[in-house]
Formats: sequence, structure tokens, C-alpha cells
Amino acid sequence: MEQQLDMLVDKVVAELQKKLTEMARQTGHPKEQKHDEAAAHETAGEEQPVVAEEPVRMAQVPHPKWQEGLVELLDSTPARIGVWRTGVRPLTKTMLQLRRDHAAAVDAVYGEVSQPLLDEFSLFTVETQYDNTENYLKRPDMGRILNDEGVRLLQERCQKRPQVQIVVSDGLSASAVDANLRDVLPSLMDSLKSYGLTCGTSFFVKGGRVASMDHIGELLQPEVLVLLIGERPGLVTAHSMSAYMCYRPRKGMVESERTVISNIHRQGTSPIEAGAHIGTILSKMLEQKASGVKLVL
Amino acid sequence: MNLKTTVLGQTYQFRDLKEVFAKANEEKSGDQLAGIAAADSRERVAAKQVLADLTLADIRNHPLVPAEEDEVSRVIEAGINEKIYQEVKNWSVAELREYILSHRAGDSELKRISRGLSSEMIAASAKLMSNLDLVTAAAKIRNISHCNIAIGQAGVLAARVQPNHPADNVQGIKAAIYEGLSYGSGDAVIGINPVIDTADSVKDILLMTKEVMNKWDIPTQNCVLAHVTTQMRAIRQGAPADLIFQSLAGSEEGNRAFGIDVALLDEADELIRKEGTATGPNYWYFETGQGSELSAEAHFGVDQLTMESRCYGLARKYKPFIVNTVVGFIGPEYLYDSRQVIRAGLEDHYMGKMHGLPMGCDVCYTNHMKVDQNDMDNLGVLLSAAGVNFVIGVAMADDVMLNYQSTSFHDIAAFREVLGLRPAPAFEKWLEKMGIMENGKLTAIAGDPTIFM
Amino acid sequence: MEEQWIKSVGIDVGTSTTKMIVSRLRLGRMSSTFSLPRFQIVERQLLYASPVHATPLLGADEVDAERIGAILRDEYKKAEISLSEIKSGAVIITGETASKKNAQHILHLLAERSGDFVVATAGADLEGVLAGKGAGAQKRSQSIQGNIVNVDIGGGTANAAFFYRGRAIATVTFHVGGRLIRLDEQGRIQYVSPHIGSWLAAKNLYVQIGQTVTFTQIEEVARQMGRSMLDYLSGKERKVSGLLVTGGHLQEVLPIEELSISGGVGELMRTPQVENIAEVSRYGDFGPLLGQMLRHEREQGKVAFRWTEPEQTVRATVIGAGMQSTEISGSTVHIKPELLPIKNIPILKLELTQEHMNEPLRLGQEVRNVYELGQRLFGESGGIPFALALSGIGYCSYAWLQLLSQELSEQYTTIFPRSRTMVVVCETDMAKALGQALSLRCKGVPEIICIDQVRVEYGDYIDLGEPISGTIIPVVVKTLAFDEQA
Repeated sequence: MEQQLDMLVDKVVAELQKKLTEMARQTGHPKEQKHDEAAAHETAGEEQPVVAEEPVRMAQVPHPKWQEGLVELLDSTPARIGVWRTGVRPLTKTMLQLRRDHAAAVDAVYGEVSQPLLDEFSLFTVETQYDNTENYLKRPDMGRILNDEGVRLLQERCQKRPQVQIVVSDGLSASAVDANLRDVLPSLMDSLKSYGLTCGTSFFVKGGRVASMDHIGELLQPEVLVLLIGERPGLVTAHSMSAYMCYRPRKGMVESERTVISNIHRQGTSPIEAGAHIGTILSKMLEQKASGVKLVL
Repeated sequence: MNLKTTVLGQTYQFRDLKEVFAKANEEKSGDQLAGIAAADSRERVAAKQVLADLTLADIRNHPLVPAEEDEVSRVIEAGINEKIYQEVKNWSVAELREYILSHRAGDSELKRISRGLSSEMIAASAKLMSNLDLVTAAAKIRNISHCNIAIGQAGVLAARVQPNHPADNVQGIKAAIYEGLSYGSGDAVIGINPVIDTADSVKDILLMTKEVMNKWDIPTQNCVLAHVTTQMRAIRQGAPADLIFQSLAGSEEGNRAFGIDVALLDEADELIRKEGTATGPNYWYFETGQGSELSAEAHFGVDQLTMESRCYGLARKYKPFIVNTVVGFIGPEYLYDSRQVIRAGLEDHYMGKMHGLPMGCDVCYTNHMKVDQNDMDNLGVLLSAAGVNFVIGVAMADDVMLNYQSTSFHDIAAFREVLGLRPAPAFEKWLEKMGIMENGKLTAIAGDPTIFM
Repeated sequence: MEEQWIKSVGIDVGTSTTKMIVSRLRLGRMSSTFSLPRFQIVERQLLYASPVHATPLLGADEVDAERIGAILRDEYKKAEISLSEIKSGAVIITGETASKKNAQHILHLLAERSGDFVVATAGADLEGVLAGKGAGAQKRSQSIQGNIVNVDIGGGTANAAFFYRGRAIATVTFHVGGRLIRLDEQGRIQYVSPHIGSWLAAKNLYVQIGQTVTFTQIEEVARQMGRSMLDYLSGKERKVSGLLVTGGHLQEVLPIEELSISGGVGELMRTPQVENIAEVSRYGDFGPLLGQMLRHEREQGKVAFRWTEPEQTVRATVIGAGMQSTEISGSTVHIKPELLPIKNIPILKLELTQEHMNEPLRLGQEVRNVYELGQRLFGESGGIPFALALSGIGYCSYAWLQLLSQELSEQYTTIFPRSRTMVVVCETDMAKALGQALSLRCKGVPEIICIDQVRVEYGDYIDLGEPISGTIIPVVVKTLAFDEQA
């Protein structure tokens, strides 16, 4: 019985695949034409969201002892290996690639989160006492406290004592927010819905540090708070985001009382999966009335 | 103890030794963050002037971190050789500096005097030194250590291969090891910073590195830089570790933030002696870095340079195989720009050497500092000239796990080539056997990682 | 939770022998505390290996299910293990036994008698792969540049699996085995498997039931059989040797660097020389001679590849089945624990590309095609018609997740209105998000089980075990149709 079924499956599948290849072949030509149309559209002002194209990594070793092996090595790590050399120095292309990635990382630190994105999620902005980027970098303590205007805005506009408080902040990478918020935040909202959790008034903190959670916790007194914040950019990606979560945040919280999911970006922890899992963590925090090392996951 | 001086017509009266120490430092954002830095260049010079005239006895008699309150202070105190101390206690810090830089003081003289000095005295001397002073002094000292092989000899620049992977993928780590070896790096250690802090994962990585070492008969040592307790668990489960690693802070409180104390280090020391796989007699790998005490709010109001020196005072108790400062990892709030990082790198290297330590340096920066790869080139050359025992080798300097930049396998080859330095002798012999190096130069096959497949 | 042990059994009912093993597998956290949880099998320990029993038969072509059951009962007692402890594992009915008429009956019986664990039936492809794993060939292949072939030769068939850099890349099965020709101590032939008739004829070898053969005659048959198999594998000659192949042929000649032979015949390659018919026939078949002739091939070293000793011989398959068949799904999943375990769910695969992400209409059409195929193949049962495997999704945005979950759920409820559970298996880490999105749309009709980080192919069947510590799901993928491209 089962064997017959298998044969049937194989047959149908083979047919299906044949059909698919045919389909792909047929649709080949019209697609090319459509390309031109799309180009016309774009010039007409229809802007596509720019996706940072990662250049394909290629091994540069001219005569490797084992070519297939070299490919296998490169596939196994994002590290910049197989880059070859001129004398004892890197090739020009490799060197420029490194400088380009460093430029992206620096830009992420000094960049700003896109306002339309914040508007899309109805996030209003408050600022910490950071003042300017240089000061933000030198004085992490000032990024932990909201300025007076920020305190006033929260008191005016936010629901007090919410079950879940969501806060978004640029942190050390504005582009991390730009790149991931559209995926993480709605997936997190869905997850809250699935668990039947309610959420207060979300907002954006400019110039925020992780411990700004404590000050916000004092002001709004949520049961649990999640801070989605840009991480210190690396060269592999400048767009990595972390989610810091805390049960009843307040002044004087220590690192070990926070639960963290880090490395959220396209090539790292899947943004949608992170969003969904943050909901699970928050619901466990509410259940266990704890966070950080005391939380059993 | 005179704490008063006049500079360019202005009189400065310092409150205590702590203030003199802090204000005598070159500018560092970390001292500013702590609110203890000199207000301007003039005050800085005033503090240096006061410090220059203080005696070593003044420093010992006015402890910055009291031994009653701090076990690191107790370890440093216990390490001082009283006879040697008696010989020098009436020297001023200026005299100490001049002795160290004089032609009278060679490698063995400095090693001897070092045994009579506390970490604070060594820090004080660093505060009176220019960058070139720091290079000159350190270059005299060769601290040779031996684990499976010896490194630190005159004319030798060793390198750690740091083949980190963002998910601890064992194949990926191996790939980066092959790359590093093919450029002649890896004599200091094959050392991985793991993402996953479980004994299983640490054990897997230790097993893999050992396997690679055995398969190719590589004269080096392996290490996985997890928390010391995780390494201990892995070793007890039979993992083959040549070296045991831990990050150190310069105060008991700071170490507590790292989850360690002297008792735990003693226990780990005993374990690695009993169950480690290396020849010895040096089995430890320590990392340090200016600013970690302030970051843990465990600095007693003492400046970050002095706290760093105290790390070395603790480290020397364990006769490590390698020690390095991770100089630019901690971020701009402690070391803001290239000037500060380069200065700190030279200070740390000098102080470590003066403690008798086999001192290396992770010449590095994060992307939110005002530093770039050119600055690392500079510091790398300076340290190589200063006789640094080893530096860190990362593929194209980009650590894809820790998200910061260090020095590359290419850089290490360049430091060696430019300054006429060699890999550790045992390792160089192996590189020759593998055909990677000939007469101290990389061969045509160097840079091809597939020779190890 | 840091770690957990689960018990797993392997049972191998072969043409001539039956074995079982009990092992324990340690699940360890293989993720940092700052990332999504991920558990993997980090250690495998063999706890108990039964003696090798002769497979009890009723007549010539029927396995005695009752007596197999009795053997197992006995072995479980000796292993001091209760059925409820067993969380995973695989039963394999190998070789010619599988085509004996009551194989299905035995499988059901074993399923009941082996505890509430995940039971796998196997095809020759999976058997070959598991034997190769059990014999250590897969692991060894990671350290050499070329292909390693392990051939597990039992009583009825020889299952060859090719491994390259740790991956199984091809399998082929031969009618080569110790019990294909049976004879008594006088050399009188008792049985010749009909499967080798055409090969014998093509080779001009004459062996017939009732015929009495000399040592030299039967030795020649064994030599030719071993050599044919090796010729096929090396690609030296496939026209005649191909007559021994059952199932799919190898598409191409795959260069071989190393070869190991496991199974009962692999074991017989190590036993002392047999020199006369009485010695040959000590098990009532020509197996000892087949082993001996393969050893001669090895000693003569005429073939281009290197021979290596397998880590296991007779028990390679059962050890592979017990210790290497279980995988662990990603640990962020969407499940209802009370719906697990589920067994023997056929896989339907939806392979997506970047184009599907850009063209919603094509995505809808693709989903419909796959569902309609499922409907034709498996009907509209009220249970779980199939598990939908999603592959080819790299980065998945939230917007695209919505589109995908809408197409998947709406069409599912239309085409399978009576199905109570929808099972989705994703290749990449997205099961929790997708499961959540599907569940918000379906509202319990059907219930959603969505797991990830498991690779499956068309024609596979999948078993999902009970969750361990809430979200860790043991998975056994039963590869029936081996995909050479995989």
C-alpha cells in the first residue's frame, strides 16, 4: 500500500516539476519586458525601499590546493577568509570592502531613524539628556535619563501601569531600527495578541541607553517592559538590534535582571521569529514575576 | 608627602595621592567620566610634577585601595620582595623612571627591581613617561614563557589566531584557523571566544582545536575563552585544554562583576595543573583592559591606568603564559579616540612587562570610537617595536562574533617583515616544514587555507 | 534548562538476523543566552546492545511476528528499560524481509511493543545511510577530500551509501547477500534467490536448487558477485553488474576514495579462511564465502580505492537506527503538546523563490497546486493529510509572512475543511512567527503545528515526538526516495 503510494507521489511530483520548469521557461520572456516597465515606473517617482545589496563573497586565492575545499571554507563562516594577499598586504578590493563596511558602521552610529517609519507605527519621540552624539558616546549616564521635556511627554501621552510597555530606541545604530522595526514590532504585537496581553503607549527614545528602561519604568510603572534598541554596529552588519526585557523596571536594576535577545537582523536572529519569541518571554515574565537570570525559560 | 606645586605661576594643592594619580594621567575619557581627570594641561603637568617627587615609600604607605578592603591589594602586597623594596623605597618616581630608562638597567636588572615594586609604583612611572619612553623601556624586557612552546624571545613576535564565529560553528571556526595558520599566525595560541557559554560547546571547540593541532603536528596551544567556571566544567568532562582563560579586573569588587575571586582562580589554577593537556609550566591566559573597573563601579575613585596596573599585580601571582590588554574594546566612554587608545596600549604593554608578564596586546577598536584601521597599523608597529610578546590575528581584522576590529593575519606578517621579527622558534620550524615560511618570509603557498584540508 | 537525556531504541529485523540496541541521547543547549533557544543532540551513548538473534521465520517467506515480539520483550527486560521511557528511535525491517508478506503487520506490532516512541519504517536508501552512519563512514568523510562508500551487506541485500564531507550524496542497493544462496553441508543448493537469476545467467554461472556444487564452483559465484558489486560502485562495468541493482541506479560514476563494508558479511570478512563446503555452509548459506571473496578483493588491491575497517559491522544498521535517526527541531516552534506525537506524516514540499515573494498571484497558484496534489494523493481525511514543507525562504519580512500565512491558511481551510490539524515544517528559523500568524487566522480550525530547522524532501515521511521540556521536538525523517542532489 505504502509503496504504491510512494510511486504515485514520485510520479506526480515528477510531473509537477516538469510543469514548473515549463512555466518558469514560459514566464521568462514577459518578465524581462516587465523589467523595462518597472524602470519607467521608478523614474516616475515610485521609490522602492533600498535594500543594502551584500556583494557576493568570492575566494581570491589564485591557485588553491583544493578549490572545492575553499568554497566549503567560505560557506562555513562570514569571516573574511580566502582573501589572498599582495606581499604581506591585502588586495585592494578586500581593503576597500573593509573600509566601506566600516563607513556603514560609523554612519549607523551617527545616523538618525527615519521619521516616516516612526510615523508608520505612531511612535512619538522623546529624548534623553544625551544632547549630541559625541556626548552620547562619552557620557552613557546621560543616555539613561530622559530630559524634562521627555518626562512631561510621557506623563501626558502614555497610559500608566500598562501590562506591556514597548519602547524603541536608536541606541548605537539608528539603521538597526530602520532595518528591523517593520518586522520585529508587528510580529511582537501579534504575539502579544496570541497570549492575550495588552500593551500601553509605545514611543521612541532618541539617544537612549539600555538602562533608560529604569527611568521609563519609574515613570510609567509597566508590569513588563521591552526595549528594542540598535546595537553597537559591527562590520558584518551595522543593522543589528537587541531586545532588552525586564519585569517591573525601576531605578537601580542590575544587568542580570534583564533578559536579552541580541543579534536581530536579516543574517542573524530572524526578526519575525525574534518578535514572536519576545512575546513568549514577556508572558513568562508575567507568569513568573521575574526577569533576567531568575527567569526560567 | 608634598602634594603642592606651582606651574606657570599657578599653585596647585592636591587633596591626596588618589587625586595626584588621576590628574597625572594623559587625557582619557574614562577618567573624565569618573570625574577625576585633570581639568586642563596645566593641572595635568602640575600633578605629574608632584608625582615625580613622591617617593616609592609614599606610594606604599598611602594605599589607594586599602588591603583590608580588597583582596587584589592583598595579593599585590604579598607579592612584594621586601629586600628589594628596601633598596628603592627612597627613590622618587622620577628616579624610578630614569633608572628604568637608563643604560644601567637591562633586562635582568628590570626583572629584579620589578619584584620590589607594587602595581601602583609601576603605574606611577608610566604616568611620567612619554609614548616613546614606554616603548623604550618595554623593549628592554623579554618575558619568556612556556606552555607547549616558548614565546617572548628577543626578535620574536607571536600571534594568537582568533577564529571566532557568530554561532560557534565548529567548521567555521576551523576555516578561520586554517586561514590564520596559512599566514604564519597561531604561535601564541589558537584561542576562540565562544558565543555559547555551555561546557558542551566549549568542549566541542577544544576537541576540534586539539584535533587540528594533532593532525598537523602544530607546536602551539589551544584555549576557549569562556568564563573560567565553564572551562573548568568542560575540563572536568575531559575536554583537552592547554590554557585556561579569564578576564581580570584590578579590584575585588570588579572581579566579582566578572564572577570570579582569588579563591576561584586558585581552584582553576590547581585544576589546569592537574588536568590540563599542556607541558607547562605556564598555563594561564589573562585579558585585561582599562576601564572595566569603572564600568563595574568598582574603581574606588582611582584612575583607570592604575586600576589596570593592579590587574597585572594579580595576574603575576599565577605565572601566566600570555596576558593581553584588549585595549580598544571597551568603548569611547573610556578611550575616546586613536590618541587615547594608542597611549593606553603602550602604557598597558609597558606596565605588564614591568610586572614580569608575557605581555601581548589586542590592538583593537569598536565602531563607535573615533578610530580606524590606520590607527591600529600605527599602534601595531609601535608595540612590535616595543617587543610585544604577541598580538591578535583575526581574518582581515574583522571579528564577526565580537563585532570589533583588531589586527589581521596580514598585519602580523607585515609587522614581522618590516621589523625583522620572527614567529616563535618552534612554530617557525613547523611553518618551514609545512612550506609556509622560508628564511622568515612567507612562501608562495602562504595564504591558502586549503593546504590544511 | 541546560540539558536533558532521552532514550532511543533501534531495532533491525534483517533477512537473517535481528538485533536491538538502547541508547541515550543528550540534548544540550547550543545557543547563547542572548539568542533564541536552540537545542541539539550533543552526545550519543550506547547503553545496551542485544545479542544477534536469528530472525524467526514461519516457512520461507514470512517473519514470525509473535516470536520477534517475544525476543524484544526479553531484551527490554535485560536492558532494564520500560517502554514508557523511550522517546525516540527507529525500527528497520531490512533487505528482503521488508518485502516478505507480513512486513506491515510486524511494523504495527513492533510499534505497539516498543513503547510509545516514534517508529520509522525504512526503505533501502535510508537503511544504507543509517548503516553508513552507524559504521562511522559519515563522520570519517568529514576529514577526507573524496567520497566514502559504506556498503552494509546482510543476508538479502547490500545497501551502499556515498558520503561526501559529512553529507550522504547517493545510495544504491544490490541483491548481494549471504542468504541469497543456501546450501547444506554436502553442497546441495537449497535456495537461490530469484532476484539474482538474470545476473547468474549473464555471468554464465549455473546454480540451481537441488544441484550439488563443489567448493570451487560456489567460490566462483561468490567471487563474481563481490566483484560485480565493486565494479558497479567503481563504474568499471555496469551492464551486467547492474542486474544486481534493485531500485534506482546511480546516475553517474562517483569517484570513490574509501570503501568500508559493514553488516553480517562485513563481519565474515574478518573470520578465518573457509576451505571446504562443510565450513562454507556453517550457517546454511554461502555468506562466509562471500565475505572471504571480498577479503581477497581487498587483499589483491586491484580496485582504485582505499579499504577501511568500519566502526561497526553486524550492528551498523541497528546502531545507526537507534543513535543517528533522531533530529531535534528548532526550539522556537508553534505546537499544541497534546497533539503530539504524530507519526508517519507524508511530506509535501512547497519550494519558494524570490519571485514568489514579489508576485502574490504566483504564490497563491503554487500553494493551490501543492494542496491539490495533496488532496489527490491523500484525500481529505479529518486528521492530518500531510505535512507541508517550506523551503527556499531566506529572509522573510513581516509583510511577506502575512501574505504567506494568508494563502496557506485560506486555501487549506477551503480544500481540507475537515482536517483538524495543519502541520508545517520550515527549513529556516521562522516556525514560531509563521505558526502564530497561521493560528491567528485559523482560530483553532484547524490547529497549527509548525516546526523548523528540519530538512525534508518529497517522498519523505516524518514523525514528531512528544515535546521535551515544552518545546524541544524529536523528529525522525524517513527518507524513502533518496535525493541525490540533497
